Amino acid sequence: MFDFIKYKYVSITFSTILIIVGFGVTFGKYGGFATSLDFDGGLRAVVEFPENVERKNLEEYFSSKNLEAVLVLMDKDKNDYQIDIGLGSVDQIRQLYIDRKGKDSVEAKQASAIDALIGLLQEDFKLEKKKILSANQVGSVVGAELTSTGISLLSLTLFFIMLYLSFRFQFKFALGAILALIHDLVITIAFIGFFQIKPSVPIIAALLTLLGYSINDTIVVFDRIRENAGNLRDTFSRVINLSINQTLARTFNTSVATLISVVAIIIGGAVELYDFAYVLTFGIILGTFSSVFIAAPLVDIYDTLSKRWKRS
Amino acid sequence: MKSVQWIFVPILVVASSLTLLYPNFAERELELAVRKEFKQLPEETRKDLLNSFAERWKTDYNPKSDWQIEPDPNIFPEQDYYLVKGRFITSAKINQLSQENQELILEPKNKLRPTWVEEYIFGGRPLAIRLGLDLQGGMRVVLKGDFDDYTSKLKDSYTKEIEELTRKKGDASLSEKERKEAQDKLKEIESYFELTPSRKLAELEKAKLIIDNRLTNQNLTEPQVRIQKDQDSIEVSLPGVSNSSQILDIIRNTETVEYRLREPSDPNGNSKGTYHDAIELEEMKLMSQGRKEETEIVRFQNIVKQKLGKDEQDKFLEVMEKKYNIPEKYKLYVKWSRANNPKASLLPREFVVLERAISLDGKDMRNARESYDQNRLSYYVSFSLTSQGAEKFFDITSKNVGRQLAIVWGDKVISDPVIRSPIAGGNAQIDGEFGQKEATDLANVISEGALPIPLNVLEMRFIGPTLGIESIEVGLKAVLLGFALVIVFMLVIYRLSGLVADIALLVNVIVLMALLSLMGFTLTLPGFAGIILTVGMAVDANVIIYERIKEELIAGKHVSAAVAQGFENAFWTIMDSNVTTLISGILMIKLGNGPIKGFAITLCWGIITSLFTSLFLSRMIMDLLVNKLGVRKLQIGFKKLESKNV
Repeated sequence: MFDFIKYKYVSITFSTILIIVGFGVTFGKYGGFATSLDFDGGLRAVVEFPENVERKNLEEYFSSKNLEAVLVLMDKDKNDYQIDIGLGSVDQIRQLYIDRKGKDSVEAKQASAIDALIGLLQEDFKLEKKKILSANQVGSVVGAELTSTGISLLSLTLFFIMLYLSFRFQFKFALGAILALIHDLVITIAFIGFFQIKPSVPIIAALLTLLGYSINDTIVVFDRIRENAGNLRDTFSRVINLSINQTLARTFNTSVATLISVVAIIIGGAVELYDFAYVLTFGIILGTFSSVFIAAPLVDIYDTLSKRWKRS
Repeated sequence: MKSVQWIFVPILVVASSLTLLYPNFAERELELAVRKEFKQLPEETRKDLLNSFAERWKTDYNPKSDWQIEPDPNIFPEQDYYLVKGRFITSAKINQLSQENQELILEPKNKLRPTWVEEYIFGGRPLAIRLGLDLQGGMRVVLKGDFDDYTSKLKDSYTKEIEELTRKKGDASLSEKERKEAQDKLKEIESYFELTPSRKLAELEKAKLIIDNRLTNQNLTEPQVRIQKDQDSIEVSLPGVSNSSQILDIIRNTETVEYRLREPSDPNGNSKGTYHDAIELEEMKLMSQGRKEETEIVRFQNIVKQKLGKDEQDKFLEVMEKKYNIPEKYKLYVKWSRANNPKASLLPREFVVLERAISLDGKDMRNARESYDQNRLSYYVSFSLTSQGAEKFFDITSKNVGRQLAIVWGDKVISDPVIRSPIAGGNAQIDGEFGQKEATDLANVISEGALPIPLNVLEMRFIGPTLGIESIEVGLKAVLLGFALVIVFMLVIYRLSGLVADIALLVNVIVLMALLSLMGFTLTLPGFAGIILTVGMAVDANVIIYERIKEELIAGKHVSAAVAQGFENAFWTIMDSNVTTLISGILMIKLGNGPIKGFAITLCWGIITSLFTSLFLSRMIMDLLVNKLGVRKLQIGFKKLESKNV
C-alpha cells in the first residue's frame, strides 16, 4: 500500500511549482496568453486557391513571411481555405504591403490591413478577385462574453457544489473538492499559457469537460473515505490512505478508458481538434493526479488544522 | 433487482429510441423545388442551366453517395420539383445544391419529406439531429442597423410634439418662462436624433437581445447573435438552417408594431375623395373589364406568393405612391387578411393610405397576451399601455372619433377599426384575423419590445463549418475510433462484465441521441465534448460497480450476493458524483451562453441516461446473468490482479 498522505507536501509543492512555472513562462516569456481570432479578433479571409496549392504550400508561405495564420480547409472540392490571422500579425501584414508597394504609394497608405492581406495573396498566388470569397476584419466573438459570464458562472457553480457536498458529506470534503477543482483549472490554464495554445471554443469545451471529469473523480475517492471513516476505527490520515488505495484500480481504469477516447483524436489526425485533445489529455492526467494527490491530502491538512484549532 | 420482468423497460426504451433515431439513418426523399421563372427562360439558357446542373450532379453530388434523382437532371421535370432519394441528405448538401444552381432551384421551397416516424408519430415534425454551424455550416445573416430610417421614424413619432413646441416657442402670448421651457424641450428632442457611436451600440445591444429571444422562441438552439461594432451590424448565425424562408420569418418577426391613423375622408381639403378611393376605382375598372390579373392587388399578391422579398414589395408600393400622387404626409400600406375561411392563408387584400406620423408605437405597449375569442373563432391580442402610452392613446382616440386607426405590424396593416369613442384606461386589444401562431408572434413582438432599429439584410449566405469539412470527417472517425477502443478496453479488463458495460454504454449513447433529437437540439462541437464526457462518466460508473463487486468476490462472497452488494455499495458514489456534475451542468444551462450551454445540455441529459443505464440496465443484465442464467464464476479483471489484492 502506497502512502499518499506521507507525500502530501511533496505533491502540493509540485503543483505549486507547476503553476508558478506555467504562469511565469506565460507572462514572462510570451507576455500573456496566445491571441486567437475567436477571443481577440483579427483578420479572416476565405480564399479559393488554385488546385496545385496545398495546405503545406500555404503553411510555408505564411511562415516564410513570419505571419501566424491558422488555416482551415472549408471545401475540399474547391480548395477553399479559411485563413485566420490574429491581431498580433496585423501590423506585420500592413508593413509587408507597404514594403512591397513602396513607402510613398498612395495605394499602400490607404490600404487597411484586410486590403493589404488580399493584395498580398492576390499577387503571390495570382488570384482573380472573385477567388477571394470573403475577407473581413472580425471582432472578438467569444472572448469578452465568455470571460465575463465565465467567472461568475464558475464561482456560482463552485458555491453550489460546495453546498451539495457539505450536505452530503462534510464541509471539509467540500472544501477539498473545490480546492482540487480550482487547482485543476488553474494548472490547465497555466498549461494553455505555457504552450501558447490559442483560446477557442473547443478549448472552452475542453475546460468544461475537465471540470466535470475532475469533480467526478474526486468524489469517488471522497465517497470511499466517508464510508471507511464510518466503518474503521483508525486515524483519519490512514483512512484516507486506505481509501485512495482501494479506489486506485478504479481511478486508473477510468482514466485509461477516458484517455483512450481523447488520444484517439490525436492519433486519428483531426488536426483542428488537436488543441482540444491536448488540453483534455493534460486535464485528465491532472484530474487523476489531483484526486489522488491533492484533494484528499488537502482534506487531511484541513482536518489536522481544525483539530489543532479546537484544542487550542 | 426484484424481477426479471422489468427487462421490458429497457427494451421499450431502446426500441423507442431507435424509432426516434430512424430519420437520421433512413433513406429520405428531398423535393428540390424548381423556380417558376425558370420556365419562362429562353430554351437555350434553360438547356445550359440544366446541363451544368447534370454535370455537377455527376461530379459533385452523386459520387460520394448513392443518391437517386428523378427525373434525370438533364430533363426539365413534369412536376414542380426534382425528387432526390438517399441516406444522409444533410442540410449542408441541400444548401450546396440550391446555392450552386440558383437559377434553377428555389431554395425556400425545397422540402425534405418527413419519414413515416415523423409523419405519423410526430405530425410532420422533423426529428433528425441537427448539427451546429461549427460542424456542418449553416446560414449566416448580417443585418445592418438602418439608423437613417431609425431617425426618420423617431422624427415621425415626435412630429406632433415638435409642431406643438415650435408653436409654443413662437407664441408671444405665453410667458417668457414657458417659451424657454418649450425651447429647451425642443432642443432635448432634437438631441434624440443625433446618434453617437455609443448610442448606436446601445441600440444594437437592445436589438441583439430581442433577436436572441425571438430565435430561441423559434426553437432554434444555439443561434449566435453578435454585434459587429464597426459596421453597425448584427451577425446572426443559424446552425443547420437550410431553409431561408425560416430566416425570412424571423426577419419579419423583427418588425415593429405601430398605430397609424388612416387618411381623413378628404385629405386634399377639397372633395376629390380619398386616395384610397382613387385606387379602389382603378381596381374596379380593371375588374369589370375582366382583367383581374392586372389589378394592382393581384400583382402585389404575386410578389408575395413568389417570395420575392420585402424590397420588391417596397418598390411596388413606391411606384404606386407616385402613380396616385400620394403626398409626403401619407404612406401607402397593404392590409392583409384571410379569405372567408379561417384556415385560408393571410394575404394582401387591400391598399390603405395611412398618416406617416406614428400615433403610438411598440414602446408604449407592454404585457401582450394572445387569447381566443369563442364567438369569432379567432385569436386576438390584448395588451396594456404604459402611462405615457395610455395618455397618448386617449388623446388620439378622443380627437379622432369616427376615423380609422390602423395597426401596422411590420409592413402589414392587420386591422383598422373605426374609433367609436375615446379609449381610456390603458388597456386595449387588437383583433385581426389571427391564427394562433400569428397571435403569439404579435404578442411576442409587443411584449419583448419592438426592435429599436430597423434592420436590413446586408448579407445572407451559407457558410462552411468552423473546423472545415476535412477535420470534421477525420474528427468523427477519431471519436468513433476512440469509442471502439474504449469498448475493447472494457472487454479486455472486465470480460463478461465488460460486455455488460459495453451494452450499457451503447444503449446510453442511443438513448441520449434519441432524447437530443426529440428535443430538436442542435449538436455543436462543445455538445460533442459533452457526449465524450458522458461516455467517460458512464464507463466510470461501471468501473466503480465492478471494482466493488470484485472486492466482494475477493472477500469470499457468493456471486449473486457480491453482485447485489457491489451495486449497493456503488450506488451513492455514483449518485454523488453525478449529481454534483449535474448541478454544474444545470447552472451552465441557466447562465451560460452559446458554447457553454450546448456543452451543458448534452452533459445533463447524458448524466440522466447514464444513471439509467449503469444503475438500472447494467444491474438488470447482471442479475439476469447471475440469477437466471446461472453464471457462477463472474470474471472481473485478470486473475492475477485479483490474487494480488487479496
